[in-house]
Parts: sequence; structure tokens; C-alpha cells
Amino acid sequence: MPASPNKSGSRIQSSIDRFFFDWFPAEALGAVRFYFGIGLFIYMNIQYAHLFTLDPSGAQFHFMLPIWYFGLLGIDHITPWTIYAAHAVLLASCVLFTLGKWTKPAIIVLLISMAYMKGMRDSIAGDVHHREIPIVFCLIVFLVSKCDRMFSMDAKRKGWGAIEDWEASWPLRAMQVYIVMFYFWALVAKLRLSGLDWFEGGGRIQEVLLSRAVRDGFTSDGHVAGLSLAYQLAHHPSLVFLLGSLVFLFELLSPLVLFTRDKRLIILFLIGATAFHLSNYFLMNVQFFFYPFVFVVFFNMAVFHRWIKGRLPLARQAALN
Amino acid sequence: MTKKRVKVFLLVLFAVYFGAVFLRVDYFPLSWVPMYGQRQTGEHVHIVIGDKTARAKTGFIAERANGERINITRHDLNVPGTHFRRFFHQRAYNRGPPQHRREREQLMPFNKWWYDTLIGPDPLLTHNYALELLDSVNKTLGYSENDPMRIVRLEAKVKVASYSKQELADGDIADPHAKTAIAIITPEQAKVVSEDGTEIRDLDNASFAE
Repeated sequence: MPASPNKSGSRIQSSIDRFFFDWFPAEALGAVRFYFGIGLFIYMNIQYAHLFTLDPSGAQFHFMLPIWYFGLLGIDHITPWTIYAAHAVLLASCVLFTLGKWTKPAIIVLLISMAYMKGMRDSIAGDVHHREIPIVFCLIVFLVSKCDRMFSMDAKRKGWGAIEDWEASWPLRAMQVYIVMFYFWALVAKLRLSGLDWFEGGGRIQEVLLSRAVRDGFTSDGHVAGLSLAYQLAHHPSLVFLLGSLVFLFELLSPLVLFTRDKRLIILFLIGATAFHLSNYFLMNVQFFFYPFVFVVFFNMAVFHRWIKGRLPLARQAALN
Repeated sequence: MTKKRVKVFLLVLFAVYFGAVFLRVDYFPLSWVPMYGQRQTGEHVHIVIGDKTARAKTGFIAERANGERINITRHDLNVPGTHFRRFFHQRAYNRGPPQHRREREQLMPFNKWWYDTLIGPDPLLTHNYALELLDSVNKTLGYSENDPMRIVRLEAKVKVASYSKQELADGDIADPHAKTAIAIITPEQAKVVSEDGTEIRDLDNASFAE
């Protein structure tokens, strides 16, 4: 007998509830915030490192193509010293976010200073990078969630009680959905722009390998000055095609990880994703190599925190005393 | 927040973020995640062979309005080396950033409509990146339009390799068939010439891989 509309409606509701609200214990959210913050601190330094090659008292470069919000605000050139100031603010807010001190205001300052640093970097030549996009999504979710209610200085100071499991679960699941779908949408974008031609022969990967390998030229003895491994690999289109096929499969199947609670499968997926980012960095200099820090949202980091604490000599000593 | 409110929030959040994917929005912080999704069209693929040392030491060969010839390096413009490379390899040759190159590619009718209506014409048609580079250089160095010190000519020199799609598919890339391409930018025009001064017209921008 077919299910009545009410029954199927409530079944969908309970599936959604299970998906978002029934995945993590309360302690997980604050612990993830802590470890996400540590990773973000390092990631932000990597992302804007190029800007610190500028002379703070040097020329003020007039942007070729300002990012859209700089266009609206009338920011049309770099004032080099502001980069150092904004980065200091960015890192300070990142530390506060990590420790859970003035957590929500810290997230807002983080978002603003990140937008400023990104604008400064990307407006120079107009290449707008995508490395901050999932980070912004996660920070918006942290901002709306109760990530400051546990594992934070704010909670200790104000004596906040524990939150409920579902309140910790949905933000982490929402972040997982966006992080995983980012891979899937990347595949959809390839197919929308180039179709399967993207993969054909050595495909687009071979072209990127080649262009990245020779963009700094050749040495006097005929070797590429840059990414020699990329240059070698570009000579083997079948191997590149194989790698491209793996990318296709990885991006196509990535959403499945959202539906398993099997830790081994999740870890396998994340190892694959990490290998993908590291390969992209070593072969093509794509600066997503530290991005896997976001994968902390897949785990109850409170368990990890207890484990690591038990192994720190100082913490062990304190427990014995 | 109650569970119901959380659901409404998530619905709105994902509608915005995933709606951007459907609408092919690529304006930070929204994106349809196209990164390296665009493969070059055409029978040949062009690849720039740079020279990091020359780029760093010599940079652009420039000429002032008073006839003086100078070199402009990344230190003069106070920009990171990676950005200077983009000026030198791409913008000087009138190639825009990837966002511009793919923005109107393969749009479905609805997305074409909203782009044309709300954003305006294709950026590839409205920008002259080489002339914009010259403008940025003069503004950065503080030269006004009538300043005798202003830069009136910028020159960048790279080698460009051309591979047929068949050569790439065969892995036959040892010989890059590279030819010298010199970008010359003046306030009136930007062009690409060979070493003997003849204009190069067959370097289709859509065929460059980067």
C-alpha cells in the first residue's frame, strides 16, 4: 500500500532531522572550532604570504581589476602598510576565535579582515582565487551556531551550561555538506564548460602541468626551471588521463561520504582528498595544500583533544599531582 | 534557535550558495566552483615559456614621454612576483583573468539573460587589459597624463610554444616550436610582434593554457 502524504512527509522530516541533528555529541562543536581555528591561523598566513614581499613604504600599486566590493567602496590602490595592519587584526581575531574569547565578534572581524586581505591580493591583477570560499561558509555557520558555548573562554567566564547534541550537530553537518559539494560542483563546472573534452587524452590537466612547468623557463642545461615532475608527467598523457579519471571519480562520488558513519570510509575519503590537494600543489603549484585542515569538521575533535592531552607530558604530570 | 528555525536558516543558506552554482555566480563569497574547468578551444594550445631571471632583473622595457628608456620590475610597482608574472605573461598580451575568460562561456539562456541584464556586456569585449596595465603603471608611479616622465611604451618579451592537440595526445612535446612574442603597449594600441618586428596575429587568446 502506498504511504500516505502525511507519512511520507514525516519520513522526510525525520530523515532531515537524522541527517543534520543526530550526528555529533554536544562537545564536538566547540572542539572543532578550536582545531579549525588553529588550522585557519596557518592557512591565512599561507594565503597572504605573497603580500608580505611588498615594501611597506614602497609604491602604492593601482589595481588593474579591483574585486567587486573594492569597486563599490572606491578602493583602487594598495596602501602597503594597511596589509600588515589588517593581517595582524586577522590573526588576532583568529586567535580569539580559536580560544573562544569574544567568539562571535571575533568571527565578524575575521570575515572583514579576510575580505580586505583577499581584495588586496586579488585586485592587483584581477585573478580572484577560490581558496577562501568554503572558509567563509564555515565561518558564517560558526557565527550562527552555539560554537562559543563549550570549549571556550567565554563559556568558562560566563558559566554557560552544556548545549544539546542537536545544537552541535547541525553546524558541523552543514559545513560537511558545503565542503563535500565543493568537489562535486567542481566536476559539474568542468562538464558545463568543457564537457568530457576536459578529460580527453591528457586533457586540461596536461595543459596545466605543461604551462606551470615552463612558466619560469628552462635552465642553461635544458631542464625546466620550475616544476620538473609536472614536466615529466606531461609527457605521459595516458598516465595523466588515469589521474584525470581518478579526479572524475573522486569528485563524482564525494557526496556519498555525507551518508556514512563508518569512520574508516570517511578517513579513506579524506586521505584521498588530501592526496588530491597535495598533488595539485606539488605538480601545479595550486595553493590549496593546507586546505585539508577543514576536514576537522568530520570528527568529534573532543575525543582527539582528550587523547592528545593524555599524551602531553605536562598534562600527564598535572593529572598525577 | 529552535530546530524549525535552524531548518529555515539552512534552507536559505543553501538556497543562496547552491543557487549561485545554478546561476553560475562567481563573485566572492559565492561561486559555482569553476577553477580549472575551462579547456582551451582550437586546434593548437599555446603555452608561455617564461624566463624568471630576466623577468625579475629586466622586467618591462619602458620608455618615458621624454624619450628616456628604463626598466620596470616588480619592485618598482611594489607587487608580488606572482602578480608581476601575470602582468608580464598575460595582461601585456591582452589576456584577462580566468574569471573573465569563462564568465560568458557556454551559458544557458536564463543565465545569459541575467548576466546581460544585471552585469552588462562580456568583460572580454569591454576590457583592453594591456592598455589598463599601462594606465595602472603610470598611476602607480605617480605620472599624470601630461607628465614628461610618464610611461608611453611598455615592452614584454616571452617565448610562446604551440602544440597541436594531436601532439599533446601523443605526449610529443619535447620540441615546443617556440617563437618569440614581444608585447608592445603604447597609449594608442597594444600589439604583439615577432623579433623582426612583424605583427603576430595567429596567437588566439582562447588557445592559451595557463
